[in-house]
Amino acid sequence: MDERAFAAGQDFLLAAKTFWTTTMYRELRDTAAVRAPQAETMAHVAEVLEKTVLYQSFAWLERHLQRMKYAGRYGLMPYHRERRAALLNTVSGDEAALELDPDLALPAYYTGVDIHQQPGGVWRDDIAALAYERGARSTTPMLGTAHKDLHDRFTDIAVEQGAPEKVLDMGCGFGKSTQPFAQRFPDASIEAVDLSAPCVSLAAHTTQKNQAKNVRFRQMDACATDYDDESFDLVTSTMVIHEMPPKTIDAMLDEAYRVLEPGGRMVHLDFYCLPDAFRQFIYYGHARRNNEPYMPLLAETDLADVLARKGFTDIEIAPFQEASGVDMDANDAWRFPWTVIAATKPAVV
Amino acid sequence: MENAPHTSPNTPRAEQQFFDDPAMDRLMGTVMALAQEHYVLRDRVRALEGELARTKALNPAALDQEPTPEQRAETTADRSDFVEALLKPLLGQQEALGAPGRHSLKANV
Repeated sequence: MDERAFAAGQDFLLAAKTFWTTTMYRELRDTAAVRAPQAETMAHVAEVLEKTVLYQSFAWLERHLQRMKYAGRYGLMPYHRERRAALLNTVSGDEAALELDPDLALPAYYTGVDIHQQPGGVWRDDIAALAYERGARSTTPMLGTAHKDLHDRFTDIAVEQGAPEKVLDMGCGFGKSTQPFAQRFPDASIEAVDLSAPCVSLAAHTTQKNQAKNVRFRQMDACATDYDDESFDLVTSTMVIHEMPPKTIDAMLDEAYRVLEPGGRMVHLDFYCLPDAFRQFIYYGHARRNNEPYMPLLAETDLADVLARKGFTDIEIAPFQEASGVDMDANDAWRFPWTVIAATKPAVV
Repeated sequence: MENAPHTSPNTPRAEQQFFDDPAMDRLMGTVMALAQEHYVLRDRVRALEGELARTKALNPAALDQEPTPEQRAETTADRSDFVEALLKPLLGQQEALGAPGRHSLKANV
C-alpha cells in the first residue's frame, strides 16, 4: 500500500473512533441514565444495555476499529511488514544504551494474548515496536497530540518529592515513559526494563537520537530484575500493571520494594479508579474487546491493602488528569480511568 | 474463566460476537471494510483533482457545478444499473433456476 492510502485508511478509522468516543459513548451513557438511573452494579447496567442495538454496535465498533487499525487492509502491521527492511534500517545501529537477553523466557500471560489486538503482540515481530509506537499515537483520539503532555504530567507527579538520582522504569515499552525522566534529569541514572526486545531496541534508538547518555534500556522481567537491593530512589511504571495477572503484579510490587532505597518512592500510572457502575461496565467490556484480560482483576484488587501489607507507607491512589482541559468529573467522552498509584518504602523498616 | 487467555497460539480463535445474529457481526465487518476502501478512494480522487487543478489540467469549478439535464440523462442508465445491482439481492430471488430456500442435511427427527 502506498503512503497516502495508508494515511487515509488510518484517518478513516480515527474519525470513526472519534465518533465512537464522543457521540456513541454519550448516547450510551444517556440511555443507561434513563433506563437504569439507580444502577449500583455493573450487572444492572448490563441488564439494560446489552440487548440494545446501540450497545451492540458500540461494542462491535470498539472491537473492530481496533482490529482494522492493526490488521486490516490499511493496518499498521501490513504497512510495517511491507517496509520491514527499510524501517528496521532506520532504527538499527550500535545502541550503547541497549542490553538484550535472547535467553529471557517470556511468561505465558504475556505470550498468550496479543494485547491491544496487535497481531503477534508487541514482541513477536521485529517491527512490532514500530507498529506499536505508531498505533499508540491514536489510542485516545480525544488526546490528539497531547500524549507527550500525558507523560510529562506523570513525571511531574513522580518527582514531587524531589529530583531523583536513580530511577527504574518498569515495563518501559518503547521508552515513551522513560524519555521525560532522561531529558529532565540529566544527572540521574535511569534504568528501564521491558520484556519486549523490539520495544527496548526502539527505546534505545530513540534515546541515542535524543543524545541522552543517562539511560539504559534492558530486556528484562520487571518482576525479577538483577539489580541489587536498595538500588533506586524512584521506581515507576506507566500503563503496565493492568496488563498483568494478580500474581505477577504481586511479584512486581515485591521487586519494586526490594530495589527501592529506604525512603524511596514508587509511582505508577495506570487504570484503576472506576467511579460508577456505568464506567465499570464500559471498562470491563473494553478489557475483553481490546485483548487486555487482566484489567478487571486489577480493578477488583484492593491495591491500598496490598501495598500496606507489603510494608509500603504514604500510599496515595488518586485519579490522574491526562491532559490539561480534561474535566475529570464532568468529562462526557470515553476515557480511561487514569490513576496514579504511589507509595513509599519506609526510611526505617 | 471467560477472560482467561487461551494457550494455543497457532489455532485461529473464534471472533467475539456482539449482535444477536452472528451474521450481522460478519456483515458489519464487510461493510466497514468497504467504507474504509471508499474513503481511501475518495481521498485519492481529491488528491488527483488537486494535482490536476494545480497543473491547470482541470477546472475545479467546472467539475463541481451541477450537471445539466442532458448530462444527467446520459448517466441515467448507469445509475439504474448500479442501484439494481446494489438492491436486487434484497428481493431474495434466484438468477438461475435451482432448489429454493434453506437446506439442511440434519437427520429427520
